[in-house]
Amino acid sequence: MFLQTIRPILKPRNPSCFLSPLCSLLQFQFQPLRPISRTNLPPRPKHPPESEIEESFLKGSGPGGQKINKTNSAVQLKHIPTGIVVKSQETRSRSQNRKIARKILAQKLDELYNGEQSRTAIVGDYKKKKAASKAKKSARKYRKLAEEKSAAAAGLTPGGKETISVIEQVEEEEDDLDEEEDVEEGQEDYILQNTHPNKDTS
Amino acid sequence: MPRLPPTLFWQARRLISPLAPLILPVCRDLETTSNELRWIRDHVKSHPSPIPSKLRIWQLVDKRSNGTPLQYVLGTQPFGSLEILCRKGVLIPRHCTESYTLYLSTLISSSSPSPIKVLDLCTGTGCIPLLLTFLLPSATATAIDTSPISISLAKQNFLHNFSSLPPSSNMTFTQNDIFSPLSLPSSPDILTANPPYISSSLFQSTQTTRSVRHFEPKLALVPGDHLKQKAIEYNCRLEDVFYARILEIAREIAAKRVLLEVAGWEQAVRVVEMIEGKEYGTVGIWKDEVYGATHIVEETQIGRRKIKVIGEGEARAVYLSRI
Repeated sequence: MFLQTIRPILKPRNPSCFLSPLCSLLQFQFQPLRPISRTNLPPRPKHPPESEIEESFLKGSGPGGQKINKTNSAVQLKHIPTGIVVKSQETRSRSQNRKIARKILAQKLDELYNGEQSRTAIVGDYKKKKAASKAKKSARKYRKLAEEKSAAAAGLTPGGKETISVIEQVEEEEDDLDEEEDVEEGQEDYILQNTHPNKDTS
Repeated sequence: MPRLPPTLFWQARRLISPLAPLILPVCRDLETTSNELRWIRDHVKSHPSPIPSKLRIWQLVDKRSNGTPLQYVLGTQPFGSLEILCRKGVLIPRHCTESYTLYLSTLISSSSPSPIKVLDLCTGTGCIPLLLTFLLPSATATAIDTSPISISLAKQNFLHNFSSLPPSSNMTFTQNDIFSPLSLPSSPDILTANPPYISSSLFQSTQTTRSVRHFEPKLALVPGDHLKQKAIEYNCRLEDVFYARILEIAREIAAKRVLLEVAGWEQAVRVVEMIEGKEYGTVGIWKDEVYGATHIVEETQIGRRKIKVIGEGEARAVYLSRI
């Protein structure tokens, strides 16, 4: 409620500086109110130190040398503190697979420790939202086309031209409403995100 | 080789692709089959050609299905961060070679001033000196092989990886038989060799896989019968004759570090016993996985020498150092 009342005063860009004294008073960790965008995603997680990793080369090891030629380049990592095991056999290059396996491990640990605040969760949310908005837009487009078609069919009857123009006007108004809805939905999301840590502390 | 159950072929067809049953007999399991098929598709995608890609995939799968190693089918093998060209007539670089070369480079870079001289005997594709020059900037490498095909491929590999090598890198490739008198750079920092070391009986046994026996050059695997006289001179087994000669060369040119790939523990012990004199204070045996994998270090005694045994798997290389 508090946030909703002050929302009109907030500048969209960097409100954290404006709110920081308030936040410290309320013991509230404030995250910038910027919408999640492609450039605004959390950084890729870093893999744990090598001392916490147990590495093994599956099947690639064992008897080898000149007398055997194996193509298996799989790399398996075990994170000792958590017991998470990841494996990569994506490329033919073992050194490439070692890098990929470390990336996967870092991601898994990020998910484990940060849950909904992890990069994968946020990226997933972002993608879901994008897909939803795309679906919404395409549905709107086809609905409009279908309506135009039916209107054109109706337009064959006398006095049709006028009805078409009326329908178009109505559609445009609806479009504006839709866009506003989009924005509002987005803002609610930021507020939810921001109040989330507050809920935890209380 | 055990017979593969027919259900496995049906599974391959259903789960992977209609092409999968063709390469299943050479890949032996579903995981490898699916990986290799994916790599073949990736290769076709990344190498554009006017021939339709479906036809090219089929051609490569057909070639692989008769047992040709995947590295010859695709023409390359990743080695460390480099891509090494592979061609019939030259031995394919192995994972264990990659592992000990990477580990060797970590030993050097931590304890040496510039510039580093590398000498590689029986170089094959040139993978070892190429990776060492890539990892150790300001290294100069000399590579020697008896086969002209090898030397031309090694030169091609140098050009193929030229853009990723450090700009000052300097490599020399010479075609020469190491049993003939050689003119070699004096006191190299590293002398490496992956010589032919398989005995002819082991080569004919099932321990040597069919793809190796049929498609890879015997010259790079088994010391030839023409070296029998040399083996008698050096008083060693025929499969160890290259080590006797290389250790002789190492003494002559006073190599600071020597790394020799071996077939297994027994051969490693024989090579350690061959070392004469006390120049090489540190002697170690490295196993298949020395780089990256969890490190196991043991100590044993062979003759009067204390040996450090590093890594996991079978014994793969003997390491000598004056330092």
